[in-house]
Amino acid sequence: MIEIRLHGRGGQGAVTASRILATAAYEEGQYSQAIPMYGTERRGAPLTAFVRIDNQRVRERMLVHEPDISIVLDPLIAKQQAVVDSLKAGGIVLLNTALKPEEVKLGGDFKVATIDATTIALETLGRPITNTAILGAFVKITGALKLESIEKAIKKYFPGRLGDMNIAAVRKSYEAVKGPIQAVVKSAPKEEKMDLNVGGYGVLKDVSSWRVFTPEIDMDKCIGCKSCWIFCPETAIQWDEAKKKPSIEYRKCKGCGVCVNECPVKAIEMVRVEA
Amino acid sequence: MSYEVMVGNKAAATACKLARVQVASAFPITPQTTITEYLSEMYANGEWDFDFVNVEGELSSQVVVQGASRIGARVFTCTSGPGLLYMHHPMQTTGSGRLPVVMAVVHRGYKGMQPDHSDLMSQEWTGWGHWYVEHAQEVLDTILMAYKVAEDPRIRIPIAVGYDGYVLSYTAEPVEIPDQALVDEWLPKNKAIPEVLPDKVSPASFGRGFGGERDPQVPWKEHHDAILKIEEVHREVMDSFEKTFGRRYGNAMIEPYMMEDADVAIVAMGTIAGTCKAAVEKMQKEGKKVGLIKLRSYIPFPVKDFQEWGKKLDALAIVDRSICPGKGGPVYQRMRDTLYDLKEKDRPMTLQFHAGLGGKEVRIHDFEMIGDKTLKAVKSKKVEEPVTWV
Repeated sequence: MIEIRLHGRGGQGAVTASRILATAAYEEGQYSQAIPMYGTERRGAPLTAFVRIDNQRVRERMLVHEPDISIVLDPLIAKQQAVVDSLKAGGIVLLNTALKPEEVKLGGDFKVATIDATTIALETLGRPITNTAILGAFVKITGALKLESIEKAIKKYFPGRLGDMNIAAVRKSYEAVKGPIQAVVKSAPKEEKMDLNVGGYGVLKDVSSWRVFTPEIDMDKCIGCKSCWIFCPETAIQWDEAKKKPSIEYRKCKGCGVCVNECPVKAIEMVRVEA
Repeated sequence: MSYEVMVGNKAAATACKLARVQVASAFPITPQTTITEYLSEMYANGEWDFDFVNVEGELSSQVVVQGASRIGARVFTCTSGPGLLYMHHPMQTTGSGRLPVVMAVVHRGYKGMQPDHSDLMSQEWTGWGHWYVEHAQEVLDTILMAYKVAEDPRIRIPIAVGYDGYVLSYTAEPVEIPDQALVDEWLPKNKAIPEVLPDKVSPASFGRGFGGERDPQVPWKEHHDAILKIEEVHREVMDSFEKTFGRRYGNAMIEPYMMEDADVAIVAMGTIAGTCKAAVEKMQKEGKKVGLIKLRSYIPFPVKDFQEWGKKLDALAIVDRSICPGKGGPVYQRMRDTLYDLKEKDRPMTLQFHAGLGGKEVRIHDFEMIGDKTLKAVKSKKVEEPVTWV
């Protein structure tokens, strides 16, 4: 049996990726199971999903606690040591990051592979939805499934042109993946652990880790109309009555981009954070 | 036959489509909600001819399907946890009315939103058949079988098919979808039986006293006897299901797993029985003679089956995913009264375990602990801790 854990954010398609893997496995005559970790998911919030692949009907129905493979769809989550927690010794972590496997700071007895899935997704889909872009890399480094089964499964979930675009992303990532190599760092660094399955309400906690893109305000362009301040769903935008200008409280900002859409003079821009 | 990797709730909606349900009515509640979404989608796509009745609450949804069933329609409803409580009153009438309603109960506990069996267990007095299933394929297959059993002229009893929320309702797995033509042949249209039509009503079928000299206990007895009769029909239906579709689940009432060589059995229901299968495999590899008897039908209870197994086994570990507070585990208590009829020398030991309440995850090592504890009790001939909270 192969057990897989996926880390991503609401909106990146981790749950869909888990189902594509499960479907591809069945296409190859294997049984499978795709379990979402159910909480109060929302766009941007870190979440996990699990897949089991076996040659008989999967009987156990519990979360995957010791995965063989950890797949991380998000470049910021990929920096968290928690993504390799309880990974089986000699297991593989596949990270969406622009870094080379040698540059990865995660530590322990496992192999590391990297793929810049965000760039591939932006190039092929025009959006940073990395779920399919990472699956080609998964096939290449694990050999657990065939590329054509993944493509067949993708067509079931995304018919037509969208399917073709996603398949293009899969093929690109198959070619571009780096590794796997044995992790360079030998033991886990001591650091504060991040919760990779965040529930609860945004206003009450630090949601800065949810962002893939960060809004930045160009104060010269701002006309002080308060639109961003009114529409921010997380009350992350503060209003300075003296200066008649907004400011962003980044702790509360989950990077949804509503302010950018609402700004009538395009004074706010979403900037990619990871670099 | 085709297949789809689908979640448990889609398996339930797909079963409705295959059964050509004519009237469905339900009020959304997590974790049942996506069944109503799938049904609404299928309705919008015109996938088959049926009515989906939107209602303002579960009480109404039960009454809607009741009315439709009374005139002979094949009907479906579904709910979870508190929604099922709200249905408690009309459920009695469905049972008393001998209406073959089939309902999916996607388990959600009362102390939080995660699953346990306290929702359906708390409805054991409503006069329905109560079945529990393990995985998405079994959801689809069992709903089809539920129609065949419920609508059998010998039965005419509503059946609730319970399955765990989240971990089954939202987990995607490959499900084989039988051909429509095969299902049509195997499951012919429901027919209204004249006795339930208001102008020809028999007092017993309405479940009410009608005054005069009639014994007011008769409706209760008829209702009880009809539910007991489910066992025989359920077994027949399982045999014919296997003949037609090539799959079966034990003898319908129970599904023994790796029991050939077992000295003790774990009795479990629903999704955790799946995890128990993996645990039993592991234990038997280690030489521990522990098997699983998956309980599929809680009402009626497989009395004969357990009396037979009871004679062969040294101990039964009963895992209840619910509790009647102040009273105890319902399956455990039902099992104890079932085994009491055995001669004392034949009676196995019984151990009570509570697991998975409030959605607590039950893992393979939990079942290993249950197995070890039970083997230890057999060896020392003493149950040291009669009730264990896993």
